Amino acid sequence: MTVRVQGATKSFGRTTALDSVDLDAGHGVTGLLGPNGAGKTTLLRIIATVLAPDRGTVTLLGCDPSRPDDRTRIRERLGYLPQDAGFHRGFTVFEFVDYVAILKQLTDRRARHDEVRRVIELTGLASVSAKRIRALSGGMRRRVGLAQALLGDPDLLVLDEPTVGLDPEQRLRFREMISQAGEGRTVVLSSHQTEDIAALCTRIALFHQGRVRFTGTPAELTAQAAGRVWAGSERSAAALAAWRTGDGTFRNVGDPPAGAELIPPTLEDAYLLLMGEPGLEVTHS
Amino acid sequence: MTAWHLDPEAIRRYARGAAPPDLAASAEAHLMTCPACRDAIAPHVDSRRVEAIWHEVVDRVDAPRPSWPERVLARLGAGEATARLVAATPTLRGPWLLGIAAVLALAAWAGQVDERLLRMFLVAAPLGPLAGVAVAFAGGLDLTREIGIATPYPGLRLLLIRTAAVLAATVPIVAAAGLALPGSRWLAAAWLLPTAGLTCAALALTARVTPVVAVGVVATAWVLVTTPAAIAGHPDLAFGAGAQICWLAVAIGGGAWLAVTRHTVTIKLGRGA
Repeated sequence: MTVRVQGATKSFGRTTALDSVDLDAGHGVTGLLGPNGAGKTTLLRIIATVLAPDRGTVTLLGCDPSRPDDRTRIRERLGYLPQDAGFHRGFTVFEFVDYVAILKQLTDRRARHDEVRRVIELTGLASVSAKRIRALSGGMRRRVGLAQALLGDPDLLVLDEPTVGLDPEQRLRFREMISQAGEGRTVVLSSHQTEDIAALCTRIALFHQGRVRFTGTPAELTAQAAGRVWAGSERSAAALAAWRTGDGTFRNVGDPPAGAELIPPTLEDAYLLLMGEPGLEVTHS
Repeated sequence: MTAWHLDPEAIRRYARGAAPPDLAASAEAHLMTCPACRDAIAPHVDSRRVEAIWHEVVDRVDAPRPSWPERVLARLGAGEATARLVAATPTLRGPWLLGIAAVLALAAWAGQVDERLLRMFLVAAPLGPLAGVAVAFAGGLDLTREIGIATPYPGLRLLLIRTAAVLAATVPIVAAAGLALPGSRWLAAAWLLPTAGLTCAALALTARVTPVVAVGVVATAWVLVTTPAAIAGHPDLAFGAGAQICWLAVAIGGGAWLAVTRHTVTIKLGRGA
C-alpha cells in the first residue's frame, strides 16, 4: 500500500479538522469526496508531508514522514498540487516549472530542462511555455500546477481539488490527464464534485466533519442508495433531497411520495444520502 | 557541383573535431554543397557527440532567457539554479524594498531633527533586514510555500540562500539611510553587528519555530531591550564597543551552531513540517 493512514487526528485551535481517520491507497486514483471543511485538504496536506498529524500514524511509500530522512525520501517521489497553489506571477510557465524542478533537486541543467519540457508538453502548455503566468487564465494556471506536480515522474501524486474553477471542457481535459497519470502510480485527489470522482476514481473515501463516513468503490457507494431513489409527479416532503428533472418529473432521494417509481441511483444520490443521514457510517473492504 | 573533394585524412580529422579552425571552416563550407563528401563523412561521425551538441543547441534556443536579476546573479557566480531561487524570494520584489527604504528615510530625516530620534534610528535599522527575512517565508507572501515544502530541497540551504539575498538587498538601503544621519560615521554603522547577531539568532531558532515566529521573537526582544536605553540617552548599552563585541559573539555563535547542526536539525519552513 503506497499510503497508509491510521487514526490520524489534527486540530487547529478548538477546531478538529480530522478525527481519527484511516485511509489506505494503492495504485490507481483514490478520491476524497466531501463538502468544504470536511477535512479532505487537511488529510491531503498530511499525505503531502506539509502537515504532521497530532495523533495517529502515517506511512507513505514505505517510509515514516515523521522521521527527517524518511521525509526527504518521500518528497523525492512525491508530486503535490495544493488547493490554493500560488505562482510567481512574474515568471513564465517554463521558469516557474523550472523553479520547482530546482526545488525537486533536478540539478543537471540540461536534464532538468528536458523534464520541464516533458511535463509542459504532457499538460498541453507547450504553446504558452514562454508566457508570463499572470497572463494565463485560471484553467491554464491549474495546468501549470499539475505540470509541476508531475515533475520527476513521482510515484505518489497528491492533488487537492484539481478541477476546481475549470469550465466543462477544461475539466474533461483534466480528467484525461489525471486518468493517464493514475496508470502505474498512486494518485490521491480531493473533490466536492461527484461527477469527477465517479469518472476518475477506483476507490472513494467520503468525508464529513473530519471523519470518514464511507470507503469503497464508486459502485459500492452508489449501491448505498439502492431502493432509496424515486421518480414521481410530485416532490416528497419527507425526502432528503428532491428536484425537478429535465423531463418534468421529480427525483426524490430518501422517502418516496405517493405513487413514485423506484429508479436506479447515481453516485450523487448516495452522496446526498450519506451526507444527510448523520448516524450512517459504512466501510467496505 | 564542385570539382574537388575532402581527402580521407581531412574527413577523419573533421569528424573527430580535431581539424584546425581553417580546415574546419573550409570543410564545413564544402560539406554544405557536396553530397558525395557528406556520404563519405557519415560513417566517421560519432552520433552521440552530434546528439549532445544538437541537444545543447535546442536547449539554448528553447529555454527562455533568464530575467536580468538572474543574469546579474549568475555573473556574480551564484549559479543559474541559485539565481532562480533568489529571484523567487518574495522580499526582493520592488514594493517591499521601497517600503523599507521609505521607512528608513523617514527615520533618518527624523534623526536630523531630534537627537533622541537619531538613537531610535539605530533601534529601527536592524528591523528592516529582519522583516525582509520574515517576509521571505511568510505564508501569505511566499506564494509557492506549500509546493516548496513538499519538495526534497534542504530547508537550511533555502533559508540561507534567501536570507543572504535579503541581506544583500536591504543592508545597502539601511546603510544609505545611515549615511544621511548627522554625527559620526561610526554611529551610522553601529547597527551592522546587531543586525548580523539578530539574524543569526533568528536562523538558529528556526529549528524550533518557523522563520516568521523566530524573527518575531528576536525583533521583539531587541525592541524591548534597546528602546528604553535609547530613550534614556544610553545607546552605548546596546551599540557601544562592549555591546558590539557581544553582537559579534552572537553572530559567530549562531552561525557555528547552524554549521554544526546542519545535518541533524530540520528547519521548520512551515507549521508542522
